[in-house]
Amino acid sequence: MKITRTKAFKVFSNPIWERNPISGQILGICSALAVTVQLKTAIVMGLALTFVLACSNLSISLMRKLIPRNIRIIVELTIIATLVIFADQVLKAFLYDISKQLSVFVGLIITNCIILARAETYALGNPPLLSLLDGIGNGLGYSQILITVAVLRELLGAGKLFGFQVIPNFFYAAGYENMGFMVLAPGAFIAIGFIVWLQKTVSKE
Amino acid sequence: MENLISIFLNSVFVGNILLAYFLGMCSFLAISSNMEPAVGLGFAVTFVLSITTPINWLVYHYLLAPGALTWVGLPSVDLSFLKFIIFIAVIAGIVQALEMIIDRYSPPLYMALGVFLPLIAVNCAILGTSLFMVERDYNFMESVVFGASSGMGWMLAIVTMAGIRKKLRYADVPEGLEGFGISMIVTGLMAMAFMLFSGITL
Amino acid sequence: MSSHIKSILFAVVLSIVCGSLLTLASTGLREYQLKNIALDKQKNILKSIGLIEDKKAPSLKTVSGLYADYIKEMWIDFQGKLVPKEKKGENDLPVYFYVKQEKIQAYIIPVHSRGLWGKIAGYLAIKNDGTTISGFTVYSHQETPGLGGEIEKDWFQKNFAGKKILDDKGNFVSITIAKGAVQGRIPTSKHKNFVDGISGASMTGKFLSAGLKRTLIEYEPLSERFRKNEIK
Repeated sequence: MKITRTKAFKVFSNPIWERNPISGQILGICSALAVTVQLKTAIVMGLALTFVLACSNLSISLMRKLIPRNIRIIVELTIIATLVIFADQVLKAFLYDISKQLSVFVGLIITNCIILARAETYALGNPPLLSLLDGIGNGLGYSQILITVAVLRELLGAGKLFGFQVIPNFFYAAGYENMGFMVLAPGAFIAIGFIVWLQKTVSKE
Repeated sequence: MENLISIFLNSVFVGNILLAYFLGMCSFLAISSNMEPAVGLGFAVTFVLSITTPINWLVYHYLLAPGALTWVGLPSVDLSFLKFIIFIAVIAGIVQALEMIIDRYSPPLYMALGVFLPLIAVNCAILGTSLFMVERDYNFMESVVFGASSGMGWMLAIVTMAGIRKKLRYADVPEGLEGFGISMIVTGLMAMAFMLFSGITL
Repeated sequence: MSSHIKSILFAVVLSIVCGSLLTLASTGLREYQLKNIALDKQKNILKSIGLIEDKKAPSLKTVSGLYADYIKEMWIDFQGKLVPKEKKGENDLPVYFYVKQEKIQAYIIPVHSRGLWGKIAGYLAIKNDGTTISGFTVYSHQETPGLGGEIEKDWFQKNFAGKKILDDKGNFVSITIAKGAVQGRIPTSKHKNFVDGISGASMTGKFLSAGLKRTLIEYEPLSERFRKNEIK
C-alpha cells in the first residue's frame, strides 16, 4: 500500500488543502488575520496554534475514556487554556519581540473555534496517534492560509518579506509605490476573500 | 471625561473590535445572514461585554496582577500568567448565570437574548476585549466604557452586515466567490468605510 | 451519584495537574521574561540618543553592553537633586544619563502622554546644555496607523533632534508639534521650538505636545541645573 493511501496520511493531509480549516469549514479566522501584517508573526502564530492543537488533540484523545461526559467542554477548555498559557510563556521568554507584536492574539487561541471543534468532533472519538496527526494537519492548514495572507500583505504593503526589502529599488524609482492599504485591516479581509475564491475555483477543476 | 469619549468613539468606529481587530468573526459570519438574529446577538454581545469587562478588571487588579494580592498580605505574588484561563472561566460563569437569571425573571428577554448566550461564551470578542483592557492598562471607569462601546461597535458591524447580505441575495456573484468569499470582501469594504471615521476630532 | 463524584474528582485532579504545570513553567521562565522586558527598555532608551537604530536589529549582547557602558540610572527629587536608586522617595522621578568619557552628554526622561485614542509612551533625550533636544522615541501607542501612528516612524522622530525647549530670551516654552509642516506656518524665530506635525493627525500632535510639555515642566528643575552647569 502506498503511503498516500493510508488512513493516517489522509487524516494528516486532507485539512491542509481540500478541507482546509479556514476557508472550507469557515472556522477560526478570528485570531488569524490580525497577525498577518508581517510574515514573521504569522509563522510564529501558526506554529503556536499547531502546537496547541496537536497537544490538545493528543491529550484529549488519551483521556477520552476517562473524561466525564457532563463536564467535557470545561475539561477541554481547561486543557486548551493550559497549553495556550504555556505557549504564551515560552514566546515571552524566548521570542519577546514577536510576542509583543502578537499581543493578545496568542491568548485568543483559546477561543479559536478550530481547536474546540477538533477536540469535540475528532479527538473524543479517535485513537491518540490519529488525533495527533489530525491536530498537526489542521494546524498546518491554518498556518498555510495565514502565511499566504501574510506574504501578500507584507510584500504588497511594505515591499518586504521577513523584514527584508524584496522589491528592488529601481521599481520605486520607476514610480512603484507600496500599497499602504494592504497593511490595514480591510486589506486582510479582501485578501482572504480572493484567496478563498482562488482555492474554490482551483479545487473544483 | 474627554478620554472616556475618545475610548468610546475609538472602540465603536476606528478600533472596532470586529473590523479592525478581527474579533468575533465566527459568529459574525454565521449569524449575519438574517436581520433579526443579528440584532439579537448584537444586543447579547453588548450586554455580556458591558458586564464581563469591568468584572474581569476587578478580578485582574485584585487577584491576578503583580502585587494585586497585597490586600491579603501577599505583595510579591504575581498570578498574571493565569489571566487567560481565569478570564475565560469568569466569562463562561457569567454567561451561564445570566442565562439562568434572565430565564427566571424575564421570559420575553430570554426569548430574545437567551438563545444567543451559550454562543457567546466562546466568542473571541468577549475574551479579546478583556485582554485588550489589560494590555492597554485602562482604569476601572475606562474599562466600563471600553466594554460597553466595544459591544456597540460589534453590534453596529453585524447589523450593517446583515443589511448588506439581505441586498446581496439579489446580486449576481461570480461562481466560487459566493458565500464565504464575498462576505469577506464585503467585510473588507465595510472596514474601509469604518476607517474613515479616524478623521473624527474631539 | 457516583458519576457526580467521578466528575468532581476528575475536575479536581485536572485542575491540580494543569495548575502545577503552569506554575512550574511560569516560575521556570520568569527569569528569561524579566530579562527580555529589561532589555526592551534598555533598547528604547538607547534608541532615543541614537546609539542604536531601528533598521539594524542589534543583538541582545550589544544592547546590554552599550547600556552598561553608557547609561546611568538615577532619580531626581522635586528640586532636581539627584537621588540614588536605593534612597528614592515616593514622588521622585526617574532619569537616565548618557555618560561618555566620564561626562554626562545627555539626560533621558521617560514621556507618558495621552494620545487621541490611548496612551503614548516614549523617551526624550536632552543634551547636557539643558536646552537642546538630542532625540525622541515612541515605543508604545494606539494611534491610527498611517495617521497618528506615524509618531513611531523615524521621519517624525528625527525632527526633534536639535530643537530647543527654550525661546530666544531663554524662557521655557517646551517643544510643540505643529499642525503640518513648520515651514510657512510658524514664524521663523520660533522654528526651533516646533517640529513638523503629521497631516491629518493634528489631535495626536496636540495631545503629545501637551504631554511633552507636562513632562518637561516636571523635569524643569533638573534642566535648570544643567543650564547652570551644576551637573557634569
